[in-house]
Amino acid sequence: MSGRSTDDPAATAAATRREPTEAAVRDRLDRVTDPELDESIVALEYIDEIAIEGETVTVDFTLPTAWCSPAFAWMMATDARDEIETLESVDTATIRLHEHMHETEITEGVNQRQSFAETFPDADGGVAEIRATLDQKARLARQYEAINALTDAGLDPEQIVDLTEPDIELSDESAIVYVRNSAVAVAVSREPIAEYLQKARTVGLYREEEPVFRDPEGEPIDPERFAVVQKRARLASVNMSGQGNICDALNEARRAEDRPPLSELDH
Amino acid sequence: MYQANGEDIFVIDGHVHLWDASKENIKHEGGEQFIQCFYDYHTGFTPEDKQWSLDEYRKYGAERMVEDLFGNAAVDMGIFQPSYLTDFYDEGFNTIDQNGRLAEKYPERFINNGRFDPREGEDGLADLERQKEEYDIEGVKLYTAEWKGDSKGWRLDSEAAFEFLEKCSELGIDKIHAHKGPTIRPLNRDAFDVADVDDAASSFPELEFVVEHVGLPRLDDFCWIAAQEPNVYGGLAVAAPLAVHRPRKFGEIMGELLFWLGEDRLLFGSDYALWNPDWLVETVMDAELTDEQRDEYDVRLDIDTMKKIMGENAAELYDIDIEAKKREFRTDDISEQFGLGDHYGEPAAADD
Repeated sequence: MSGRSTDDPAATAAATRREPTEAAVRDRLDRVTDPELDESIVALEYIDEIAIEGETVTVDFTLPTAWCSPAFAWMMATDARDEIETLESVDTATIRLHEHMHETEITEGVNQRQSFAETFPDADGGVAEIRATLDQKARLARQYEAINALTDAGLDPEQIVDLTEPDIELSDESAIVYVRNSAVAVAVSREPIAEYLQKARTVGLYREEEPVFRDPEGEPIDPERFAVVQKRARLASVNMSGQGNICDALNEARRAEDRPPLSELDH
Repeated sequence: MYQANGEDIFVIDGHVHLWDASKENIKHEGGEQFIQCFYDYHTGFTPEDKQWSLDEYRKYGAERMVEDLFGNAAVDMGIFQPSYLTDFYDEGFNTIDQNGRLAEKYPERFINNGRFDPREGEDGLADLERQKEEYDIEGVKLYTAEWKGDSKGWRLDSEAAFEFLEKCSELGIDKIHAHKGPTIRPLNRDAFDVADVDDAASSFPELEFVVEHVGLPRLDDFCWIAAQEPNVYGGLAVAAPLAVHRPRKFGEIMGELLFWLGEDRLLFGSDYALWNPDWLVETVMDAELTDEQRDEYDVRLDIDTMKKIMGENAAELYDIDIEAKKREFRTDDISEQFGLGDHYGEPAAADD
């Protein structure tokens, strides 16, 4: 926008349309998760830089390891691009991946709006299926926290497995859950319930009026199997956070001062 | 033998390699990436004063390996698990023949496993027979994510793999160690999938399947499969070194494994030289569950459990008589080299 004088009518029009703020972009990026860890890429500190020029946003990001699955890197890059472009004030989002063994392919492919298969002709299959698998795992891990919150609040398994969306009311601070034909309302903290419902909706787990909590296969939970389903949900949660620990350690290793640079890959 | 509270722990390291990732042996950039990726795992989960340089790490040789494993008696026996990666390394990364040279020098200390790759067809079946004849192998290590030409991997539940499993059964090769864990360049849809083990294990009940690296990052799928298939075991390579900097997470993973598999189907492995048992054994032995974890999982990580995980389970699987081994090790070459004879000496009264 430089070079235009302030009394230029076009510049005035652009100014009133407002540039996106960095906060708005960051807020959008916060909705993008590392699919393997189910955590926000902002919270995980993957974002190196956000540059805004008029209606164009450029985001630079780096993953914990250079060996991070290209399919996962691809999902994060395309999700980041699409989230930012939902902002009305943004025309184009450019995403650049750094220090990854496939940084060039992914950066070019994502910004040229190619598909994963076009970018990686070697790969057998697209990313949709693996994304669905990981979403299911994230859904189950979130269910573990949600059901724990409800159990702690005194609900019993029979009540929990029957809950549908109309039984749950989300407010700013809490989630109100109605049981016994709406005769009793129980308040629990909002976060585990809201996060669970958000992911469950993403994976299209149920229709309205159907139970929101499901076993790992997506079926309503038989109250007799409530305990084992919750144990499997715990396992999903331990797996995700365990992988987070491994990524974390690899990240520290690659950033160590005496680590040989990847650019030495000259074979 | 490792000693804890006056008790001897006979340690069988269920996962060791004698590899060569020297620059001269690398023929594809994948080979360089592979060793660099390993090196990140090494430094990420090794105490700072125990870390190797990348050059040491590329190729350490037989002498050093023997010293690292047995020199301070951290380990009593080791099981070689070859990884060929011949698309990346001229002579292979560590083949049965490379590992075998050392195993044959100390046959009382090493078990030398073979491998197969169903994509090799008839030649592969013939080579499996050769491995049985030359090394009398009892087990194979399988690396389903290995590149080969245009192929980026294979599945254990494929028709071709079943043909090889049948051959294993026929030849009495009944320990199937499948690498299901971290991998680089996992371009194919889901290189981490462990579901293929399920089908293979139920189709071949006479074979024992050891899932190396307990399926990480698919611990959840692995535990669920293992809970239902009695012939599925968990190899702790990669999980074990979490005990270094992330003991709480290690406790959680052990809690899950003990909960779903019990204490009889878990095998310690250092994945040497990824990690060195000369410090790892002690770190794992010192690991404890928090009170909270003990309550949550209702399992124990006490000395009896650890004895099983560190050696007795592998001994059971490979028909190793631990007491006979102890007697043998009073005078074997390794004990003489490192002055360990007394170490395997007569226990005060227990041996009468």
